[in-house]
Amino acid sequence: MRKIDVACVIDDDPIFVFGIKRIIKIIGFCNNLLVFKNGKEALDNLKSIISENQNVPDVILLDLNMPILDGWQFLDEFVKIPCRKKITIYIVSSSVDPEDVLRAKSYEEVCDYIVKPVTVEMLKEVLQDFENAS
Amino acid sequence: MKERENIEVNPISSDRENYLKKELYNLIKKDDSIFEFLQDAAIDGLWFWDLDKPENEWMNPKFWITLGYDPNKMPHKSSAWQDIINKDDLKRVYANFSKHSQDPSYPFDQIVRYRHKLGHTVWIKCRGIILRDDEGTPRKMLGAHTDITQVKRAEQDLRKRINFFEHIIDGTDLGTWRWNVQTGETVFNERWAEIIGYSLYELEPTTINTWMEYSHPEDLEKSNKLLQEHFDGETSIYECEARMKHKNGDYVWVLDKGRVVSWDDQGNPEWMIGSHQEITKKKKDFERNKLFIEQTPSAIAMFDRKMNYLAASKKWFEVYNIKDRNVIGESHFRVLPEIAEKWKSNYQKCLEGEVIKNDEECVEREDGTIQWLSWELRPWYSNENKVGGLIFHASDITKIKREQELKSLLKVTEGQNKRLKNFAHIVSHNLKSHSGNFEMLLDLFFQENPDMRTNEIAQLFKTASQNLSETISHLNEVVLINTSINESLVPIDLKKSIDEATRSVQAIAIESNVTINNKVDEGIKVLAIPAYLDSILLNFITNGIKYSAKEKDSYVTLRTTKKNNEVVLSIEDNGLGIDLEKHQSKLFGMYKTFHPSIEKSRGIGLFITKNQVEAIGGRIEVESKVNSGTTFKIFMKHEKD
Repeated sequence: MRKIDVACVIDDDPIFVFGIKRIIKIIGFCNNLLVFKNGKEALDNLKSIISENQNVPDVILLDLNMPILDGWQFLDEFVKIPCRKKITIYIVSSSVDPEDVLRAKSYEEVCDYIVKPVTVEMLKEVLQDFENAS
Repeated sequence: MKERENIEVNPISSDRENYLKKELYNLIKKDDSIFEFLQDAAIDGLWFWDLDKPENEWMNPKFWITLGYDPNKMPHKSSAWQDIINKDDLKRVYANFSKHSQDPSYPFDQIVRYRHKLGHTVWIKCRGIILRDDEGTPRKMLGAHTDITQVKRAEQDLRKRINFFEHIIDGTDLGTWRWNVQTGETVFNERWAEIIGYSLYELEPTTINTWMEYSHPEDLEKSNKLLQEHFDGETSIYECEARMKHKNGDYVWVLDKGRVVSWDDQGNPEWMIGSHQEITKKKKDFERNKLFIEQTPSAIAMFDRKMNYLAASKKWFEVYNIKDRNVIGESHFRVLPEIAEKWKSNYQKCLEGEVIKNDEECVEREDGTIQWLSWELRPWYSNENKVGGLIFHASDITKIKREQELKSLLKVTEGQNKRLKNFAHIVSHNLKSHSGNFEMLLDLFFQENPDMRTNEIAQLFKTASQNLSETISHLNEVVLINTSINESLVPIDLKKSIDEATRSVQAIAIESNVTINNKVDEGIKVLAIPAYLDSILLNFITNGIKYSAKEKDSYVTLRTTKKNNEVVLSIEDNGLGIDLEKHQSKLFGMYKTFHPSIEKSRGIGLFITKNQVEAIGGRIEVESKVNSGTTFKIFMKHEKD
């Protein structure tokens, strides 16, 4: 059973980030947490992190609607980065548009689609799935 | 004095020795008739011949001058002229002479040809009389010459000219006629008969009745009218296009032209001369073009320079409401006086070569309605490159104009729809993130402060947050309905779908004591989006259960009927019913509830259902009576096998 070492939250909403940090802390979701305010910031940082192969996240919680680079644009660029470690990506969005859900499914790297608000219970499930999968 | 001498001396001196002249002079003095004869006839030459000594003949100077010779050099011998007279004519002269000498009553009078000294022919009318002694024996002969060369030439010219005209008539294939208006006597040429397939021989004897017999009765009337106009002096030439019956039974078209050439003392027409020209092909071409114009689906008319109608389309008569369609040849100013007067200056400009048009002109009709016209005035040119008249073309573009307006309206609506979608997106997404945050924060707050769960304000806070999230999720559903219309419809078995829906509400149906009857025929398929159909059925069935009357044996019954290409699903209950008079307009509105006593009513179900039905191309009708029940009818597209 593998624990999540590094998790990464990519979201521009400070309230959400505040909340998710709390939930992560409550359930002990991971040891280390990376937070990026938009797709561009995440992409730039993750690129160097992956190339240095240090602190590469196990799980990414990705918002869709963000400034500069949105979730989709981030995904399109991110999947091109070669990486030895398997990174599980969850899309965490307020959108319930079936089109968004379908589009998320088209990415092999995307594990699931979580509709906000995120609750303690939901994140626990994610944690359990991760542990069971590995 | 000198002149006088000449007159007296000169003529006498040259012939002084000639006894015949002396004798003639004596005769003239004695016999008046000879003098008269000379007066009358001796214009271009005079001769006196001794029949006893036929070699002697006296010729006066004029005789030789007429033939181009010098009289002083010519001998007074009959042999002098023998060489210059035409040989054949000389034979005739001898023949006539012998007849005249035997019978004085036989005239010596003939036309003979002499060769002029310069080589050309001189035509001479030669007359003579034999003078006899008391026993009747011919002794002398007196003759006179008249130069008729000019008359002869004129005659020849005339013959040439007649030939020339005959060639022209032959060459142009003109039939000709000559008609005595008073006697009816009529003469045709061969071509006239040939145009209608006959030889002249077959038609003889010809009179004006021949023409009438072969004329088309309708054209005869027109022709008579035009003839009368010509007789009355209204037209300088009679001209009429008319049909003649051909031998083969068809009608041929001729252009009949003519004029009166002589009038009687009372001023009535006497002789009239004219021609027939066959114009069948031209006429047929013209008729074809006319037909083409007539059938043109827009209002079009062709005019000559005087604005007389040459042709007009049927549509033209319709647009301008012209009852009498026989306007060809009539003036536009007579047919449509008001319109023509208004457009006069435009016509004038157009006839000067200008093209005038207006792509959109708003006209108010007599009945007050608005008509949009697109029109054009365009000159047409004759063979001589002169403006022959104009073509007026107008189309009613009211319909197109209206469509354009609709289109622009549609554009506006599209824009509004876009903004509305945008707004819906903001509502569904942005509001949802905010309400999500509320929920999440409250969730966390209670996690960290479990004792606050009993705090009333905190509890209400949580309820408010939940309600907000729920409302937003409803809005979301609605927004999604409108955005997924593009999804393709699939055939779905209606009975099976109802069975499934019934199963999922089984629990509450039993609890509420409501029987659900699925009486839909087996195998009926409708075209729908599966998720929508499920939602629609569920909603209506749940409604029926929710608003059932507690004191009755409640039921919800589903049936179908087919109507054209539609399946009508009726969902009937015997529940509370709805006061349609009050609520009809709001029935399918958002957040409308009509039964305050029912707590669970949210007022969103029918709104969503209606939108879903419309999204799959259907519609809903409702019948209801308070305390008696409600029947919803859902019209859906029928899928035939």
